[in-house]
Amino acid sequence: VTASGPDLEISRAWLVDPSIGREGPGEIVVRDGVLEAVTWLEGADADGIDAKGVVVAPGFVDLHAHLREPGNEDAETVATGLAAAAHGGFTTVCAMPNTEPALDEPGVLALIRAAAAASGSPVELLAHGAVTVGRAGEQLAALGELADAGVVGFSEDGHPTRSGPIFRAALAYAGALGLPIVEHSEDETLTTGAEANDGYVATVLGLRGWPVAAEASAVGRALALLDDVAADVPGARLHLTHVSTAASLALIREARLRALPVTCDVTPHHLALHDGWLAGTRDWAWDAIDDNGLARDPWRDGARAAPPFATSLRVNPPLRCPEDALACLAALADGTANAIATDHAPHREVDKAVEFGDAVNGISGIETALGVVLAAVDAGRLPLLRAIEALTSGPAGVIAGRSRRATAGLVEGAPADLVVFDRSESWLVTADALASRGKNSPLLGMSLRGRVLVTLAGGRVAYEAAAD
Amino acid sequence: VSAVVDPATPGAVAVPSVDAAPESQPIAWRHRHLLDVDGLSAAEIELVMRTADAMREVLRRPIAKVPALRGRQVTILFYEASTRTRVSFEVAAKNLSADVVNIAAASSSVSKGESLVDTVRTVEALGAQMLVVRHSVSGAPYLAAEIFGGSVLNGGDGWHAHPTQALLDLYTMRERLDGGSSAHSIAGESASPLLAGRKVVILGDLLHSRVARSNIWTLTASGADVWLCGPPTLVRGFEAWAARSAVAGRRLHVTTSIDAALRDADVVMALRIQRERMAAGLLPSLREYAARYGLTRERLALARPGALVMHPGPMNEGVEIAPDVASGGQSVITDQVTNGVAVRMAVLYLLAGTQASA
Repeated sequence: VTASGPDLEISRAWLVDPSIGREGPGEIVVRDGVLEAVTWLEGADADGIDAKGVVVAPGFVDLHAHLREPGNEDAETVATGLAAAAHGGFTTVCAMPNTEPALDEPGVLALIRAAAAASGSPVELLAHGAVTVGRAGEQLAALGELADAGVVGFSEDGHPTRSGPIFRAALAYAGALGLPIVEHSEDETLTTGAEANDGYVATVLGLRGWPVAAEASAVGRALALLDDVAADVPGARLHLTHVSTAASLALIREARLRALPVTCDVTPHHLALHDGWLAGTRDWAWDAIDDNGLARDPWRDGARAAPPFATSLRVNPPLRCPEDALACLAALADGTANAIATDHAPHREVDKAVEFGDAVNGISGIETALGVVLAAVDAGRLPLLRAIEALTSGPAGVIAGRSRRATAGLVEGAPADLVVFDRSESWLVTADALASRGKNSPLLGMSLRGRVLVTLAGGRVAYEAAAD
Repeated sequence: VSAVVDPATPGAVAVPSVDAAPESQPIAWRHRHLLDVDGLSAAEIELVMRTADAMREVLRRPIAKVPALRGRQVTILFYEASTRTRVSFEVAAKNLSADVVNIAAASSSVSKGESLVDTVRTVEALGAQMLVVRHSVSGAPYLAAEIFGGSVLNGGDGWHAHPTQALLDLYTMRERLDGGSSAHSIAGESASPLLAGRKVVILGDLLHSRVARSNIWTLTASGADVWLCGPPTLVRGFEAWAARSAVAGRRLHVTTSIDAALRDADVVMALRIQRERMAAGLLPSLREYAARYGLTRERLALARPGALVMHPGPMNEGVEIAPDVASGGQSVITDQVTNGVAVRMAVLYLLAGTQASA
């Protein structure tokens, strides 16, 4: 692998291009930032190349990241967030609008675009606008103006769209603009004070339960509203973000069968981590299930590797039981889930170095997403091609037409948007290793396979690993 | 100075000579903190019980005091109102000749918004070597333990754990189920299966009870047949725990039928019921609770003759427990309070032994 500026030649690698459904041995050549040649190797030329080493894939697209600017720059800035994205292999990032002020009018979008330009990062910054003014849930935000300014969707994320009438109106209004409502599904009357997934672990730890039903009932409501609106508004679209439960995914699967225009994403932490981590286990969800498909007891001898109540695990929706995590993986595998979105949620240390029940929700996850997803691939839980698809063309489809990239594929003749990573190399997740200001990762101290070597975005170097 | 070992009993615990400083004793205790009881082995629980026996002997002396923790500072940091637990820890520490500092969060800079982390650092800078924490948020003592250089004792956290309460409850049950004598004396008798197979009922608001959670661990580890009983809204979630316990060979049952729970019980522990539960929609009324789940003389008659009646306090007499039951001949509620001092002395002593000498 040689990389110097915008020229890059990679020979004898494993290429993955979900936009054409293909993976295999190959070579790429980048000249002056342009992906000049993509060559698929066959026959004897391909001998000895497998998917376990250096992989070249289209740059990843994150539908859901909190960059905290404006308003909470101590937790993250656009500049540090984009640097973190590049470190994670992402070349397109959709910022969430729960900033201060909220991204509810074009001026705020202009502000973060200026910050992105000033950062010099070539990572593409996109954004969702708020559904309501100030995310207060009472009055529609400037949806049309925001659409004209280039937002890719609308979301109240952090909270659900609380009001039924406003949700219904927003689906119709955004639908006519060709944009989805990106919904955080939560019945907050069921989660007041909730701390951890309602179940065995929360019971033993004495944490206030956060029921599966709080998400599933909100998903049911959202789908019913979509059903209602989509009948009259052909463009109406609903994207359910960070879906975390088997119950919700079953409802979405059923809605798809009825051809409702709904898409959804799952996060790396919800598909690989589980509520046993709150008790102190540190095993992947698929290893936390016994031969009968039941979650293993975190209190069994020798299972707990860390102290309980780590606030880095506090997140909304909460880490669920291992069965739900496997349901997220299954939904990815069968296409019910269109995308893996990170819900990157950096926080200041002081907001996490408090009692578990007082800690803010969120995991800093954009840099560990690839490693976590590859762990599922390594475990045989997800085909590599499908995993990469859920990080590239899957999310690109949700924001179709709004990215500078025509497709999230390896397109010859276009400015290079790609990531090169080595599945045979591990890296240690440490605070120093994270480019994000948010060090609130539950994976600190763990080693992840799949080290990003180079990220090219828009034909420029967004990230390059230091030479060993 | 020597520890007492019973060579006749395999795995018998070495009981320290509590007149001596703990670091001079060969004690099989490896925990620097006491944050929960979920990680205590049967042998460790036995060691606490035997050490508490030794402390009971100290308490019977004319001057109920030993110099074991002389020169050590024990800070008691309570973020929740408490009388009995706080005073019990204070008396226990003073009986061991420790210097005691009391901090009630309401009267400290905590009320000015200081974080737990900063408060613990300050307390340590002021010389604390052992820290007793009570907090309304589950898990808070773990945060304190992460930053505190000495030993942290959990004095009760949220709904999660109340380790010393469970240990003193166990101590009281062992003592009284043994016929009221202190036969399991200092001189290392075998770990008698006092609790094995005994039916222990924990009655009432399980959902919000740290006492119940810690008792589940210590009692099931001791071989007791533990029954949890309460209204459906207040025992939810514990069925899963019972199922897990069965897999692990521990006996834990959940029922909403008070008659089924009390029948042939050896011990009945009633839990405090709080008015907030009505506001949360978990109960129709205290009156209905008392009628359906109150521990009355008539109901107690379903239990074995002489069954023990316990309550961690403070009690709502006439709600979860009838006054005549609370003060009746089967009640060991005041024993719980007395034993609390001995058990907390034992725990302070054992934890101090894991620290470098002062």
